[in-house]
Amino acid sequence: MDSFTPVLDGFAVVLQPTNLLYCLVGVLVGMFVGVLPGLGPAATIAILLPLTFDVEPVTAIIMLAGIFYGAQYGGTVTSVLLRLPGEASSVVTVFDGYALARQGKAGTALGIAAIGSFVGGTVSIIALTFLAPVVASFALDFGPPEYAVLAVLGILLVATVSNGGRLKAVVAATVGLLLATVGRDRFSGAERFTFDSLSLADGLDFVPIAMGLFGLGEILYNLESRDGPLRPPAKIANVWPSGQDLRRSTGAIGRGSVIGFVLGILPGGGAVLSSLAAYAFEKRRAKDPSRFGKGAVEGVAAPETANNAAATSSFIPLLTLGIPANATIAVIFGALLIHGVTPGPQLVDEHPELFWGVVNSMYIGNILLLVMSMPLVGVFVKVLRVRTSILAPITVLITLIGVYTVANSTFDILLVCVFGVLGYLMKKFGFEPGPLLLAFVLGSLLESSTRRSLILFDGDVTGFLTRPISGTLVAVLVVVLLLPLVARLRRGGAAPPAVETDDTAPAADRAPVKPRA
Amino acid sequence: MRRTIVTGVRGAATASVVVLALAACGGNLGTAGGAGGDFPDGPVTVVVGQDPGGSTDLIGRAVAELASDELGVALPVENRPGANGAVASQEVADSEPDGQTVLVLNASLIAITSLVSPDDAVSLDDFTIITGISRDDYVLVTHPESGLATLGDIAASGQTLDFATTGVGTGSQLSQQLLFHQMGVQGNDVPFDGGSPALTAVLGKQVDVASIQLGEAYPQIEAGELVPLVVFSPERNEYLPDVPTAVEEGYDVPVAQYRALAVPAGTPDATVEALRSAFEAAFADQGYQDFNEQALLTPHEVSGEQVVEEWTAAKEKYESIVEEYDIDLGAAG
Repeated sequence: MDSFTPVLDGFAVVLQPTNLLYCLVGVLVGMFVGVLPGLGPAATIAILLPLTFDVEPVTAIIMLAGIFYGAQYGGTVTSVLLRLPGEASSVVTVFDGYALARQGKAGTALGIAAIGSFVGGTVSIIALTFLAPVVASFALDFGPPEYAVLAVLGILLVATVSNGGRLKAVVAATVGLLLATVGRDRFSGAERFTFDSLSLADGLDFVPIAMGLFGLGEILYNLESRDGPLRPPAKIANVWPSGQDLRRSTGAIGRGSVIGFVLGILPGGGAVLSSLAAYAFEKRRAKDPSRFGKGAVEGVAAPETANNAAATSSFIPLLTLGIPANATIAVIFGALLIHGVTPGPQLVDEHPELFWGVVNSMYIGNILLLVMSMPLVGVFVKVLRVRTSILAPITVLITLIGVYTVANSTFDILLVCVFGVLGYLMKKFGFEPGPLLLAFVLGSLLESSTRRSLILFDGDVTGFLTRPISGTLVAVLVVVLLLPLVARLRRGGAAPPAVETDDTAPAADRAPVKPRA
Repeated sequence: MRRTIVTGVRGAATASVVVLALAACGGNLGTAGGAGGDFPDGPVTVVVGQDPGGSTDLIGRAVAELASDELGVALPVENRPGANGAVASQEVADSEPDGQTVLVLNASLIAITSLVSPDDAVSLDDFTIITGISRDDYVLVTHPESGLATLGDIAASGQTLDFATTGVGTGSQLSQQLLFHQMGVQGNDVPFDGGSPALTAVLGKQVDVASIQLGEAYPQIEAGELVPLVVFSPERNEYLPDVPTAVEEGYDVPVAQYRALAVPAGTPDATVEALRSAFEAAFADQGYQDFNEQALLTPHEVSGEQVVEEWTAAKEKYESIVEEYDIDLGAAG
């Protein structure tokens, strides 16, 4: 098989000791910056770029890619232990991950996340190896109308994933959508809620809102119990996921891999949507959806698998089309340029050793990540043994430093404090920050894609229905909207939340679903 | 070619360590004498108003790395993104005029942004320009199935064309707005969030054409995935010698992204001079010249006075054309 030779050559490239070493360094650095909230992989890669000038391009990219997926896992650690999601794609992990940690099962959550990340990443690489050229055009078929419908679908899922009252989730999501409108209008340049401040001209940034609502809000809330007996540090029941946890998560990991791979190909919003969709999907098909948000292992396994699978497949548009899918990949694109390699449609033909070297380094990187993270789980969970009175101030300090480093902006520190107070009030009155944050992320995608579509359609809304992909998505949207209603009608109005599975689910995975009486 | 950059940068790094060591021994190695004798006093911060990884950032880092060799101090790059660079500009304009803070300034912020958001227009009066850096050209591209190969095809198409821009108040938008108005062709202005989404939109045939910075579009042009119609630079681009300029085709649309290095107004002349010679040394470096070639940048290392002259002229020109054709850059959506 001639076409397979370059793939094997790629393995030969990766297994050179230098490349293995750089891969290891990249993954380690990535995990480290992922744990620090704020300092994201994009900034880290930009800072470390000069260090790679001395080495071969393939070695450089292997290290930078290692930082990228190492950071994905590092972000999980803070989401689970400290309720600090460093990236939009790990917001969903917080719901059940943090709940598990509070029950002393942080090890379960981190272990399952590591396994899920490994499986999701590996499945995605295998798919990438064989399908990259085929599926690349998928990214191009998604125009503004498709993104607009996808964003509506995502916002709908936000309401589904919340675990408190439906009404409160809707209120929180609405606030999130409103926050997304802050900033200079991307179409007319008009000022919207900027109060003449240049700091608000580009709108609000995800990181300060997430750190405030989740991290600082939680810490402030815990201060309320200061005068009472000190909350003992969470007991650490186990470090490893039990056999039962693993069995429970198998399906979630499998489905998460597929969802993550497919959505990750889409530049812009793929990773967030995939973690959200994977979580919502698991919750819908669960026998008892009420377990979600209170420490369901699948609630960690699904989004973590999906976001890692998406992180891997987001390399497809870069490597096959020369389109960077997100900020981090854009920096890697810049790095390739500096090394005299132009990523683009001709990359596979002109530099096969580079293409396959990078792809195959992901196999190795994922194995390294798993091998390193499993023993580290035990170290990470020890953080929870630290008394709150010591851990909380340190967390606040690290959060603020991290937020500052994103854009070297003191204004963002102020924002964290404001959203911290909001997060505290929300928790006090029973609102969840998750729907707000996810709606905020999807809100700008929804607004700009919809307006862009309407410009292209000359204001004719039926355009959404006549394009094949967006038409299909609208149909899915209608089904998702109507299913719970239909189910409720059939059961005479007293039904629990919908448990129907989507028709697109692989038949083999579908178990007979019986609503609990 | 790659190896030359590598050795260039490595050489610079080694040399700067040596110079640093010498400076630490008490010898004042600053090239400026007299009034600017205390300069540089510690690291000189290079502020970039864009996110890490973009072309402005890469240029800033390339120049800073090499200039530290000559100045004998480190030149750390600090990204301060926001409002197309206006946040960073304001911060540098308000900083101490001692040459310790240098800004990488984009011409679009001076000449184009003000057409959309007059409030946060940055004035050149607030800065002393040290030197020009380079020119980044915009190229109008289409996908091969559009049936368009020249500007003549656009004029003859007789239909409304969807054109993607990299955002409101960018050179990408201005170049296409000016061109379509001067040609008398109906165009649909579709703003995207940056170069890569706009590029994706043309590749995916979501729009008919887009004006994109050459560095981003070039790989696609080489691969035959995109067809270049025209470049908006004043003269032909050396990397696309067969593609005509809009000016040649008879349209008065000279739009390109120019970049320059600036310090706050009121910085002592000797300090500006010291910085200028440091940056000139960087420009002369083979590694830097290779970098320009990789990034498809055209060197435009002109004096500060000429930068002010050119940018002011561009600003006035754009204002008058926009008025003449009654163009509203904020009218989309």
